[in-house]
Amino acid sequence: MDELQQKKQMLIQTYKRFTRRELSPIDMQIDQDGMYPVGLFNKVVATGLLSTTLPREYGGAGFDFNATSDALRIMATGNASMAVTLEGHFKTIEQFIKYGNKQLNDKHLPSASQRIFAFSMTEPSGGSNPLGISTIAKKVGDDWVISGDKIMITNGGLAQVYCILCKTDDDQMAVFVVDKDMPGFSFGKKEDFIGLRGTPVGEVVLNKVRVPGYHLLGKVGQGLEIGDNAHADARVLMGAVLAGITEHALNVAVDYSKERKAMDTLLFQMQVTQEKIADIAIKRQNIVNLYRSAANNKVANKPYRELAAMAKSYGSRAAVISGDEALQILGGYGYSREYPVEHLIRDARAMELAEGTIEKMNIEITNAEIAK
Amino acid sequence: MKIIVCVKQVPENDSVKIDPKTNDMVRTGAQGVMNPFDRNAIETALELKEKNGGQVILLIMGPDSFTEVLRDGLAMGADSAYLLSSKEFGGADTLATAYTLVAGIKKIGKPDVILFGRQSEDADTGQVGPIVAEDLNIPQATFATKVETISATTLEVDRDLESSIQKVEIKLPAEITVRSEINFPRYETPINIVKSFDKPLTIWNEKDLNVDPDKIGKKGSQTIVTKVYAPKKETKQVKFLSKKAGDAAKTIINELDL
Ligand SMILES: Cc1cc2nc3c(=O)[nH]c(=O)nc-3n(C[C@H](O)[C@H](O)[C@H](O)COP(=O)(O)OP(=O)(O)OC[C@H]3O[C@@H](n4cnc5c(N)ncnc54)[C@H](O)[C@@H]3O)c2cc1C
Repeated sequence: MDELQQKKQMLIQTYKRFTRRELSPIDMQIDQDGMYPVGLFNKVVATGLLSTTLPREYGGAGFDFNATSDALRIMATGNASMAVTLEGHFKTIEQFIKYGNKQLNDKHLPSASQRIFAFSMTEPSGGSNPLGISTIAKKVGDDWVISGDKIMITNGGLAQVYCILCKTDDDQMAVFVVDKDMPGFSFGKKEDFIGLRGTPVGEVVLNKVRVPGYHLLGKVGQGLEIGDNAHADARVLMGAVLAGITEHALNVAVDYSKERKAMDTLLFQMQVTQEKIADIAIKRQNIVNLYRSAANNKVANKPYRELAAMAKSYGSRAAVISGDEALQILGGYGYSREYPVEHLIRDARAMELAEGTIEKMNIEITNAEIAK
Repeated sequence: MKIIVCVKQVPENDSVKIDPKTNDMVRTGAQGVMNPFDRNAIETALELKEKNGGQVILLIMGPDSFTEVLRDGLAMGADSAYLLSSKEFGGADTLATAYTLVAGIKKIGKPDVILFGRQSEDADTGQVGPIVAEDLNIPQATFATKVETISATTLEVDRDLESSIQKVEIKLPAEITVRSEINFPRYETPINIVKSFDKPLTIWNEKDLNVDPDKIGKKGSQTIVTKVYAPKKETKQVKFLSKKAGDAAKTIINELDL
């Protein structure tokens, strides 16, 4: 194994050990409580997981998306909520790395191994049409003053640093970085979502939050591009999370089918079950192949947006269907909250919406194909 | 405090399959990981270092691929690592392994503490640590569930003997074999994983160690495995007798029904 491979294997082992010990045993509890138990997030921080992708010059480990996506897949086989919490952080860090100016990055990135970063685009008026947002940034001297309302933000409330997609007073799109401790910043409603119930998703309200000029991420007019780029990065990692959820469903279904008899036959020996298990396994592998292709292209500096959209579009549907098939294999138990399958379906379902709906992604994929 | 931790690589337990016909472990394709019990030994060493200062050195005998396990230990926080690697070391039993490790320990030079995990997850003998202590003629404590620093030259060790805990004070240099209950080994953080590749890792062969060729590898091994089977389960009782020799002797005579 070369050094890069070896580092990646070690990273995966850490994620595996952490997941087995800290997450898998409380996966059901996290879903039922609708939050992480006290202290869990501190363990994530203490284990240094927030710094997985953070560049070394900012005190991070600097792992690429190839290693990080596989690590998140492993985590999602135990608990998808925490994997999505990390995905939200990692995709935001990527935008600092790509678009952030030196002063901004020097100020914020060293703290990214302790503090969660989040990306906020959606508003009450809608998420699918970013041009329709009404959050406004007004230039006052060298500073900007931001007012608006962002909803359904992954890690909203938990995160301490927020990228905010705004319209400037001359009607251009721009992204600004806001710290939760800045005057005028507050948290609003926390969503009571049906899946990924550990991941906090909530509202942030900006009431004339004044930020210095260097808090502009990229340039004025680059807002949509940065938003699209954040979506693409998120979709690669969500593909990995979806592969993990599908694998979780597969594991439960396989274990059950090896124990449970219908008449005198074990379920896995029956053709109807075999078709379902094979279908779930094929879907799992397809999602893995898609997110890995996207991740590898990103690492190699090749286009990956379409592949990332495919990984999440295909992956979210495939994971939901896989969960449904696993539920069917478990029969009545599958429909019970005592087994994890039903929450896997709800978890996967979130990703048909978050980071761009399936419809929006399919429009993007179609546009990319038409342009070829 | 200079602490040497001897570690081993074993197949990852979820990648090992049991052949249903022969009941043998099938290790082909199994991924190698650090013996889980050795992580407890490294954790013990790191805690001792945090308290007393010094350095934690890893030592392993095995093929070149075992450097991966050493990187793991370095990522946990060890300072440096040594691999004893040569075809000549192959096929060693616990005696020849201990002899080779002792040669390595002597070449590294004068440790205060030598730590082992309780046993390896694959072969499960638990012998190497005690043999190393004997070869070096230093005191040893096995089954340790607690290691406390008393002074720069003395540690206090709790030994879990299943039915009782024995507290011993042990003069350094000493060898300690720890049980897995002793601690929860820390995770290798992503940053420490990356940094572990900047730490020194030295590879020595039999020539570097200046060993007797008849005492290493298969040649130096005295063990012949004739049969492997599951033992019958029995529990035995241990009685602790009065400290006075005369009373104890009387009890034994009574018990033996002489
Ligand atoms: C778990 C979760 C986490 C989230 N995290 C974040 C986050 O971190 N940051 C953030 O900014 N947002 C986040 N969101 C919000 C998410 O991005 C939006 O829900 C999503 O973009 C859709 O916006 P909407 O809910 O307003 O639906 P709408 O935009 O109102 O869409 C409603 C329906 O119309 C369809 N539709 C809309 N426009 C078109 C079109 N042009 N063509 C075809 N169909 C269309 C949609 O596909 C959808 O089916 C999160 C959502 C969830 C569920």
